[in-house]
Amino acid sequence: MLQLILYNVTNGLIIGAFYVLLALGLSLILNLSNVINFAHGNFLALGGYFAYLLTPHLGYWGALLIAPAMTAALGFVIERLMIRRVYSRDPVYSLLLTFGLAFILQDACRFIWGPNGLPLGIPDVLSQPVSADLFFITYYRIFMGAIVVVAVIGLFAFLRYSRVGVRIRAGTLDLDTVAALGVNVRLLRAINFAVGCLLAGLAGVLAAGQIGLNPNMGDDLLMPSFIAIIVGGVGSLTGTLIGGLLIGVASALTTVVYPAGSEAVIYVIMALVLLIKPRGLMGEEGMLT
Amino acid sequence: MSSATSIPVIAKRPVEHHYLPLMAVWLVLLTLPLWLPMLGGYTALGARVLVLGLVAMSLNLLLGFTGVMSFGHAAYFGLGAYGAGLTLKFVAASTPLALLAGTLLGGVAGTLFGLLIVRRRGVYFAMVTIAFGQICYYIAYRWNDLTGGFDGLRGFSRAPIDLGFATIDIQHNDTLFYFFLLFMFAVAIGLMGLILRSPFGRTLIAIRENQRRARFLGIPVERHIWLSFSLSCCFAALAGSLYALLNNFADPLSLHYTLSGEIVIMTVLGGMRCFWGPLLGAAVFVVVQDYASSMTENWMSIVGLVFVLSVLFFPRGLLGVLQRRDAK
Amino acid sequence: MTPMLEARGVSKQFGYLRAVQDVSLTVAPGELRAIIGPNGAGKTTFFNMITGFFPPSQGEILFAGETITRLPVAARVARGMARTFQITEVFPELTVRENIRVGVESAHGLRTRMWLSAAERARVDEAIEAMLILTGLAAKADRLVGELAHGDQRAAEIAAALSLKPRLLLLDEPTAGMGEQETYQVAALIRRLHKDNAYTIVLIEHDMRVVFNLADRISVLDRGRLLADGTPQEIAGNPDVQIAYLGTAA
Repeated sequence: MLQLILYNVTNGLIIGAFYVLLALGLSLILNLSNVINFAHGNFLALGGYFAYLLTPHLGYWGALLIAPAMTAALGFVIERLMIRRVYSRDPVYSLLLTFGLAFILQDACRFIWGPNGLPLGIPDVLSQPVSADLFFITYYRIFMGAIVVVAVIGLFAFLRYSRVGVRIRAGTLDLDTVAALGVNVRLLRAINFAVGCLLAGLAGVLAAGQIGLNPNMGDDLLMPSFIAIIVGGVGSLTGTLIGGLLIGVASALTTVVYPAGSEAVIYVIMALVLLIKPRGLMGEEGMLT
Repeated sequence: MSSATSIPVIAKRPVEHHYLPLMAVWLVLLTLPLWLPMLGGYTALGARVLVLGLVAMSLNLLLGFTGVMSFGHAAYFGLGAYGAGLTLKFVAASTPLALLAGTLLGGVAGTLFGLLIVRRRGVYFAMVTIAFGQICYYIAYRWNDLTGGFDGLRGFSRAPIDLGFATIDIQHNDTLFYFFLLFMFAVAIGLMGLILRSPFGRTLIAIRENQRRARFLGIPVERHIWLSFSLSCCFAALAGSLYALLNNFADPLSLHYTLSGEIVIMTVLGGMRCFWGPLLGAAVFVVVQDYASSMTENWMSIVGLVFVLSVLFFPRGLLGVLQRRDAK
Repeated sequence: MTPMLEARGVSKQFGYLRAVQDVSLTVAPGELRAIIGPNGAGKTTFFNMITGFFPPSQGEILFAGETITRLPVAARVARGMARTFQITEVFPELTVRENIRVGVESAHGLRTRMWLSAAERARVDEAIEAMLILTGLAAKADRLVGELAHGDQRAAEIAAALSLKPRLLLLDEPTAGMGEQETYQVAALIRRLHKDNAYTIVLIEHDMRVVFNLADRISVLDRGRLLADGTPQEIAGNPDVQIAYLGTAA
């Protein structure tokens, strides 16, 4: 029984970690540029596929480092080419744009790498279980969790201490003032978008090691990421973090008691939050609400 | 100060010049079973355009005329489909009842949900509408016993309409069903047109144009947005019910946000602020999608390209380019 | 006589920022009051509180003797308060006539109606014509407001506000960004409304010629506080005002 609970809780925490990673990237892009990046799940998939391309040449560790960077670079290019054209317009256009982009990216993955699943090799040392009893806790899972923690801390540190990070934070509060202070807002938005895609790409590499690659691997994570943002409160990254963990853990615990309801509980939490605290747990007053 | 002695009152805007395009549209729709097969199409395709056009026009009530962005409209469409299907399957073989049940299911769901979210704005509003749609999708997907799960709801078909003095066999006669559909379509958009031309409709347009100003003119903005949302969901649910009748089938994909996105693109592609825009958008989209999926495996890219190109190059939509101002 | 508008110790704090501090003033019915002051003095914040955009941190606001401090915007509009904005707020892609129509239908309580009887339609049209003539826009009634010159846009905005049949008209910098000709046009309209139609008007203005020509009384705000309150002569001679507000020309 204990094993079952532990199994499900670790699963839940891992899933929660992915929700967090993806949701943070989404949230970053949403907060600064008021754009819902429907293609975010596809950037996740691309991260995994890039790792697949790089592993034969750079090994797993090299791929882990470079693939997210490649995803970020792609995001940067796409932002500059397409997304920035619609900032000044009604938000419906940016939604439609990223929506269409999602279709195109998914099809591109299918076209290049085929519709079937592909494996991503992870180093042997990581696929060992931690102990014979707890066979389901491999070092890889611990590793994934550790990477996510590092990434999240890194993100918050970046936003707090680096020049670009501070500007991004200021920009989410008042973009006009930031622009008036001479900051290149266009570049800032592009960088912000790239950072969001970096996180997605990283999530993709990690996920690929666990579940393998396929063109729609990001789809199942996209909606929970949305909900993590809604639950945590639009406009607040800390909120997104809390939201993601909350729904991940809730989902895990529900699996122990009532497996069929593990997905439903996420929606229930969202509905409750909307009823009680419509702005989300840590939601801020502002243009988005 | 009486106006009788001063400038003559122009009570209505001259509408004569609007009649000709209107008649042309109806002519095209009425004769569709004749000309569409000649172009290589089939009547059911035209029926599909009508149904999707209706749901796109219902979204336009919200998006183009009230200025509120819902990205989860498939939810009400799908609920309408399931409502109609379930009624036909489990309650009675009655088309009017099925339509009523479907419309109510989607309409009431939308009305209640609208209450919850009406104070939200912009992208946040869009996000919660997407989430609600996914909740409905999830329920339809999971509740296997009732809804047939992923395979969809089967085992029902549209019932002939018994008018007492005559029976309209829409069950077996596809052409007859098309005209029934056209009739329902006409009734629905007739109502929609009435609403948009009314004082209430004008408050919606005011809200779209400048929400703050509307508020300071005494318009209870949130309440009117909620009303617009409810009406929009009712029409969408009606379209969904008709869709279930068309296919004799209802499936979870009719609730998925992919369909929601497609509905939005139809509206935008055709022309957001034009009354007839979404119908044109639906026609173009359905044809392109149909054609692309039969020609190539990469039809998804083509559909995605339609989205991207519309947004970048045709933001006002096809009709928007033709007409400077919205037809009212 | 009950004042049309009364503010008692109204203050507003945004975190550390005290935008408005303990402002009290009284506006009599039929009066034209100008509120002046340097930029950032808190004038628009004060207006926002009077019209219900957000509540004051402290203080009370009374409208025709009734306390309205926490009432929402729609309720104040219903009681007869109308407002225009610093940046002209209109419905740009509607015609002048349609802009006014929204206000008239709202004022006549026809907001949620799906259809109108012939009699009601006639009443609405008559009211619209009256507004058009009053604000001098009759010739431009069917043009899109977004395409009009700035002065006409402002007139259309005022026309829409007037269609509500307000008891109190609040104008936030009505001549902002206008040239000579248009400033004169708008000022003349405001004077007509005040003298001929006996509207009670409170306006925020920077253009001193407009202020001193139109106002019955002037209130001066500086850094959130009420500096002085009096007739144009009193204000012109007040040394504190001169110090705080030196050399503002239009």
